[in-house]
Amino acid sequence: MRVRYINMLAVSALISSACTDFLNVLPKTSIADDATIIDQQSAETAINGVYASYRSYFDVSYQTIGYLSGDNIEFTGSQSQIKEFIDHNVNAENSTIASAWSGIYVTINRANHVIDKVPALSNDAINATIKDRILGEAYFIRGLAYFDLARVWGGVPLITKPTAGPTDNVGVPRSTQAQAYAQALSDWELAEGLLPQTTDRRRGTQKTVWALKARYYLYHQQWQQAIDHATRLIDDQTNYQLVTPYNAWFANNAAATQEAVFELFHSTNEINGHYASWQPQERGGTRQWAPNNAFAQLVTNPGTGGGRSALVGVDNQGRWYGNLYYRTNGSDPSFVFRVAELYLVRAEAHAKLGRLENALDDLNAVRERAALDPLEGLATEDAVLLAIENERRLEFGLEAHRWFDLVRTGRAQTVLGITNANRLLLPLPAEQVLIDDALEQNTGY
Amino acid sequence: MIEIRQKLCMLLLLLPAFIQAQQTTPLVNSTLDGVVVDAITKDPLAGATLQLEGVTHSTKSDGRGRFRFVTGQKFPYTIIVSYIGYKNKEVIANGSPLTIELEQDATGLSEVVVVGYTTQERRNIIGSVTKVDPAQTASIPVGGIDAQLQGKIPGVQISSNTGVPGESINIRLRGATSISSGNNPLFIVDGVFVNSNSLQTVNTGGKATSPIADINPSDIASVEVLKDAEATALYGSRGANGVIIITTKKGEYNQRPVIDLGVSQGWAKAAELWELTTGPEHALLVNEYNTNIGRPAPFRPVTEVISGVAGRGLPEEQQTYDRLGEAFRTGGLGDYNLSIRGGSSDTRYYLSGGYNRQESILRPISFDRASFKLNLDQKLADFLQVGSSNTFGRSYRNQGRAGDGPQGGILQAALHTPTYLSPYNENGQLVGRAGFDNLTLLLDNYDVNSTSLRYIGNVYAEAKLLKNLTFKSSFSLDYNNYDESEYWKSFLIAGAGVGTATSALTQSSSWINEQLLSYKTTIGGKHNLGALLGNTLQSNVAKRTSAAGQGFANDSFTLISSAASTTGSDFWDKYTLASFFARIDYGYDNRYLVDFSIRADGSSKFGSANPWGYFPAVGVAWRLKQEQFLQEVAFIDDLKLRASYGSTGSQSGIGSFAARGLWTGGASYQEKSGIAPLQLANPNLRWERTDQLNIGLDLSLFKGRLAVDFNVYDKYTRDGLLPLALGETTGFNSFTSNAVEVSNKGFELGINSINVRKAHFTWSTDFNIARNVNKIEKLATTLNYGSRDLIRFEEGYPMYSFWVYKQLYVDPQTGNAVYEDIDGNGQRTTADRQIHGDIWPDFFGGLANTFTYKQLDLAAFFNFSYGNNVYNHNRFFGESGGARDAARILFKNNLNRWQQPGDITDVPKSDGLNVNNYIDGGSRWLEDGSYLRLRNITLGYSLPQTAADRIKLSKLRLFLAANNLFTWTKYSGLDPEAAANSSENQVGIDLGTPPQPRSFQFGIQLTW
Repeated sequence: MRVRYINMLAVSALISSACTDFLNVLPKTSIADDATIIDQQSAETAINGVYASYRSYFDVSYQTIGYLSGDNIEFTGSQSQIKEFIDHNVNAENSTIASAWSGIYVTINRANHVIDKVPALSNDAINATIKDRILGEAYFIRGLAYFDLARVWGGVPLITKPTAGPTDNVGVPRSTQAQAYAQALSDWELAEGLLPQTTDRRRGTQKTVWALKARYYLYHQQWQQAIDHATRLIDDQTNYQLVTPYNAWFANNAAATQEAVFELFHSTNEINGHYASWQPQERGGTRQWAPNNAFAQLVTNPGTGGGRSALVGVDNQGRWYGNLYYRTNGSDPSFVFRVAELYLVRAEAHAKLGRLENALDDLNAVRERAALDPLEGLATEDAVLLAIENERRLEFGLEAHRWFDLVRTGRAQTVLGITNANRLLLPLPAEQVLIDDALEQNTGY
Repeated sequence: MIEIRQKLCMLLLLLPAFIQAQQTTPLVNSTLDGVVVDAITKDPLAGATLQLEGVTHSTKSDGRGRFRFVTGQKFPYTIIVSYIGYKNKEVIANGSPLTIELEQDATGLSEVVVVGYTTQERRNIIGSVTKVDPAQTASIPVGGIDAQLQGKIPGVQISSNTGVPGESINIRLRGATSISSGNNPLFIVDGVFVNSNSLQTVNTGGKATSPIADINPSDIASVEVLKDAEATALYGSRGANGVIIITTKKGEYNQRPVIDLGVSQGWAKAAELWELTTGPEHALLVNEYNTNIGRPAPFRPVTEVISGVAGRGLPEEQQTYDRLGEAFRTGGLGDYNLSIRGGSSDTRYYLSGGYNRQESILRPISFDRASFKLNLDQKLADFLQVGSSNTFGRSYRNQGRAGDGPQGGILQAALHTPTYLSPYNENGQLVGRAGFDNLTLLLDNYDVNSTSLRYIGNVYAEAKLLKNLTFKSSFSLDYNNYDESEYWKSFLIAGAGVGTATSALTQSSSWINEQLLSYKTTIGGKHNLGALLGNTLQSNVAKRTSAAGQGFANDSFTLISSAASTTGSDFWDKYTLASFFARIDYGYDNRYLVDFSIRADGSSKFGSANPWGYFPAVGVAWRLKQEQFLQEVAFIDDLKLRASYGSTGSQSGIGSFAARGLWTGGASYQEKSGIAPLQLANPNLRWERTDQLNIGLDLSLFKGRLAVDFNVYDKYTRDGLLPLALGETTGFNSFTSNAVEVSNKGFELGINSINVRKAHFTWSTDFNIARNVNKIEKLATTLNYGSRDLIRFEEGYPMYSFWVYKQLYVDPQTGNAVYEDIDGNGQRTTADRQIHGDIWPDFFGGLANTFTYKQLDLAAFFNFSYGNNVYNHNRFFGESGGARDAARILFKNNLNRWQQPGDITDVPKSDGLNVNNYIDGGSRWLEDGSYLRLRNITLGYSLPQTAADRIKLSKLRLFLAANNLFTWTKYSGLDPEAAANSSENQVGIDLGTPPQPRSFQFGIQLTW
C-alpha cells in the first residue's frame, strides 16, 4: 500500500514538473524579441531587414501610386482600386494606399530598431566603421520613408523610437507636411555624416544621399542646392553615366549599370513580382494595367520617344503592354534613382534660375541618350520648363515620377484635369483613421 | 488497497491456471441448435448474444442468425438473449432446434452511446448528443464522412463548398464562436484526436483538401455528435465547436468470420451549367455599351476603320464557341470494400480494405483513396484486455485550380473567356484569350497532384482493478505525410514562359497519451454512482520541406532538379497540450440524474503567464416517466427533461507562438540574411472561452413509434482570440489578443417516427430542423474578408454579413441603378455601403423517409436551408454590361438590361465598370440562397433468405442510388452551397466553383 502511494506521489510530482517543460515549446523559425541586435553580425542582418522592407513597399505599392496617378497608364483589370488612381478619385478604403502606408511604417520601425540599438553596441561587439555605416544606412532608409510619406499624404505621425509593446507609437498626431520633409532631410544629413563616400548602387552611401538631397531641394525649390548636389554625381563620370542606348539600363537582364544611383536588388530568391502586372498573359503576366494609347503613341514616335520605345511592347492581341519589368523569374531590379534624374533635376533648377542654356544642355544630354535631336531655340523659361516636364513624362514613363512631378510643380490640376485641389493629397487609410483616434483624415475624404 | 494488490497478484499467478483450465475437454450433456430472428419481419439477427443463465458460457448468432450450444447443462435451461436495438429476452430451452424471436426496442433507450471518454445508455444521457448511423449515408459519393453527414444532425450546418470530391467542407455546429480561432468541430476517431485542417500548400484558387476524406466511411460503425457543454466539457479546450466522435467497426467475441463485400459503380454529371450569351449576343451588348458612352461600336464591318482600328465584323457574323462543354464531363465513380470480422472467445478482429475513385465533373480533377484497416482486441485475462485500432489510407488527388485567380484557373479559361473568341489564332494555333489560358492546352497539360498517406491508430490496455474500477491507458497517433507537386509547362500562364514547378512534403504528427480511471457502482439498488479521472498529454508537430524550380530547358523536363533556378524552404511548428479531467455522475432511482465535470488544459501556445484554462460543466436530468404520475400513462415510453451549463475553450486558430514577441529571419537583401520584427508579444494572452446553457427534452411515445429530441441553447463566447488591429504607425498591423465576444442562440428539433410497421411493409420518417442566431457582441474594429471586402464582421451584426451597396431599383426613365443613399449626400460613397444579409439560414435541416416492402427498401433524403444569402460573384464578372468587352464572358441575364425609357428591370443600362451601374459590391448580385434538395434516393432489393442460403450467402442486396436529383432554389447560380474559398472567414461567395454533381450509382452488397 505504501509503495503504491509513493508510486502515485512520484508519478504526480513527475507530471507537474514535466508539465512545465512539456508546455515550454520554443519556436525554431523565429527568435525572441530580446536577442536580436547584439553584435556586428546581428546588426548586419537587421539592416538587411530594413532594406528588405523598404524594397517591399517601394517595388509595387508605392510605385503604382506614382505612375497610375499620372496620365500614362490605363486600367485593364477588374479591381476598382486600381482605377481609382487613374480617375484621380481615390477612396480612403483603397487597398494600395493601405499597403503602402503599412509598409512604410514597418520600414520605419525596423530602421528605428537599428537606430536605437546599434549605437549601444560596445566596440568589442562591432567594428566602429561598420557601426557607423549600418547606422547611416538606417537613417538613409528612414529618410526615404518620410520623404515618401510626405509627398503622398502630407503631414504624418513622426515615429523615431522602436515599438516594444502595443501601446507604443500609436495615438501620435500628424505633423505638418513641412515637418515630415524636415524629418527626411535631417535623417539624410545624419546619414551623410556616417556613410562612406563609396559607390554602391544597391545600398545607401554618401553619394546616394547627395542624389536624394538633390531631389529634395528640387521639391523645395532650393534651386542652387539642387544643382550643387546633382553636380557632385554628374561630375563623377567614372561611376555615373547615362548609358546608351536608352534600354541599356534595363533590357537584356541588365542590373546595377552605371545609370543606377540607387536600385533595389532582386533575384530569383528575392523576387520582384512587378512584371506580372505589366506583362501580357502570353508572357506569364496578367497585364493588370498597361500604357495608354496616348503615351504609347508618344513613346513610339521617333521624334518624341526615340529609344524609349523600348518601354512598351505589343501582345498577340495587338494591345500595348509595359516592358520595363519583364523578367518572369522575378529578378527585375526596382529603380529608385537614375542618372537621368540628376540631369533633369539640374536642368529644371537651372531653368528656374534663368540659366536656360545650361538647362537645355542637361535636357539635351538626356534626349541625346534617347537618340533624339536636341531641342533648340526655346526662348522662355516656361517653354524650357514645359519641355523638361514633357521629357520627364517619357523618360520616367513607367517609373514613379509623373504624379509627384505634376503635384510639386502645381501643374497637376491643369494637366490631369483635376477640379478638386484636395485630391492632390491622397487619403489616409480609412481603417487606420478608425483605429487610431489621433489620425485625422486629409480634407475632402 | 492491500486487497487490490493481493487480488492483482493472485490473478496474475492464476492466469496460467485459467488458460490451463480452458484446455480441458468439457463434459457434453446437451446440444442446442437455434436461430434468432426479428419478431415481426422474421429476418435473422446476426451477432445476438446468447448467455446461459448462471454460468459463464455464451455464444453469438452467426450471419444467418444461427447459434449452437454444446454444454454440460441438461435441458431445460434458461438462455438470456440480447441484441443491440432489441429488448432482452429470457428463453427456456427444452430441446433442439429453437427459434427465438426478439422484439425491437424502438425506444432506443438502452442503446449505447459514446460520450466523453466513456459510453452510456441513452436513457441516462444528460447532455445533447446525436448518434448517426453511417449506413444511411453510405451511398452519397463525396470524399469523406464529414460531407456525408449533411442534413443528418439537428443543429449541425454542413455545406459542401464545391462539387470536387475530397475537398474541404464547411461545418458549423450551433453557429460559429470564433473569428480567428477556428470553428471546425473536433474529430475523434477511435479515441484519436485527428487533424481536420488541410495540409495543402499548392494554390488551387483558395480551395483546400479535407483530411477527413482520408478515412474510408465504410469502416465507420457509428458517429456521435456532442453538442452542449455537458457533453463537450470533458474535451475542454477542444470542445467549443462540438465534438464528432467516430467509432470504427470491430469484430465480436465468439463470432464466426463474417465477410462483407460492397461494390458500387456510378456516374456524376453537372445538373446544369451557366447560361452564356452567344457570340452575336455578346457583340450586341459590347456595341451597346460603347454607344452608351459615346464610343464607336467595335463590332462593325471589318472594312470600317476608325482611328486606325478595323471593325471586328457585325454582331451577327460572330461565332459561338462552347468551352464549358469541354471542361465539364461525366465523371466516373467507383467504390469497392471488402471486410472480414469475427472473433474467438478472447480475440476479436475487424479487417478491411477499400478503394474509392471519384472523377470530378470538372476535368481533370479526381480523387482516389485506397485504405486498409485492422482493429484487434485481445482478452489476456478476465480483468485485462489489450487492443489496437489502425487505419491506413492513401488519398491521391488530381487537383485543379477551380477557385479564384487567373493562373491555371480552369473555370477562368472555361467560363470567363468570351464565347465569341476562337480558341485558335489566325495561324490555326491554340491560344489563350482574355488573359486566361487556352482551355484545351490547359486541360491537356494540367499536372497538379497530391498524395496523402495517413495513419490513424491507437493501442490500449484496459484493466479491471476492482469489480467496478477500470483503468485504461492508451497511446494514439495521427500521422499524415502529404506530398504535393505542380508542374506548369512554359506555354501556360503559370509556367511564366519558361516552365515552373513546385513540390512540397508536409509531415504532420500528433500523438496523445491518455490515462483513464473509471468507477461505476450501484448502492442500495437506487443510487448509481460513477466517476472518471483522466489525463492526457498531446504533442503536435508539423514540418514541411518545399522546393521550387523555374526555367526548364524544354517541356520534357519536369523535375525541379533540372530547372535553371531552384529555391528551397522549410517550415516547422509544434504545440503541446497537457490536460487533466474528472467527472462524477450520480443517479437516484433512475429518476434524477446529475453530473459534474471539469477539465484543466495547459497549452504551450499561451506562453508562461496563462497556460492553464479550467473548464467545468454541470448537468441535471429528470426522467419524469419514472415518477408515479406518469407510470400509468401508457402511451408515453419515456420523458426526460435535461439542463446543462458549462464552459469549453479554444486555442486552435492562433499561431503556436502567438503570445511571444518574435523576430523572423528571411528578410534578406542582396542574398544576405536579414532579420526583422515579426510579431508583438502579448504576455496576457489567455484561453478563448465559451459558456453554454442547454435545456432539452427527450420524449418517446407509443412504444417507440414517435421520438422527439428538442434542445434550446444559449452560447456566449468571451475572450475571443483575434489578431486585434493595431495602428500601423507601430510597424505592426495587429497583435494576438482576447478581444471578441460572440453569442449563438438557437434550438434544434429532431423527430423520428415509425409511421407503419407491419410484417411486409414499414415506413419511417426522420425530420430535423434547427435555427441559430449568431451575433458579434463585442469587436473593437470592423473586419472585412473575402474578395472586394464582401464579407464584414461588425459589432452588433452576425458574423459573415455581406457588405454591399444596396440597389433599390433601376430608374425606368434613365436606366441607371439607384442605390440607397445612407448619408444623404447625393453621391454613392463608401459611407453608403451597408450590411445587408448574411450567410446564416433562418432554418435548416433534413427530412428522410424510409420504406421497406418485402424485399425492397427505398430511402429518400432531403436537406434544406432557408433564409441564407449567397453573393453570386460570377455575375459581377459575367454581367458587366459589355464594358469588359473581350476580357470576360457575358451571362444571358445581361440581355434583360434596361434599353429604353419605360423598361422595368433590375439590370441597369451599361455605363462601364465601377462607374455606377456595374460596381463592386452592388447588392444586385446578392441572392437568396434558400434551397430544398433531394440529396439522396436509394432503392434496394435484398435476396430472400431462402434464396440467399441456396447460394451460401447470408445476405445479398442490390441497390440503385441517385444524388442531388433535384434542387429547388431561387438562386441563379449553379449551387447555392458553392463557396469560392475554403478559408473560414470567406464563406458565402460563389465564384468559379464547380457545382455538386447529380450522380447515379448501382451497387451490390454481399455478406457471407
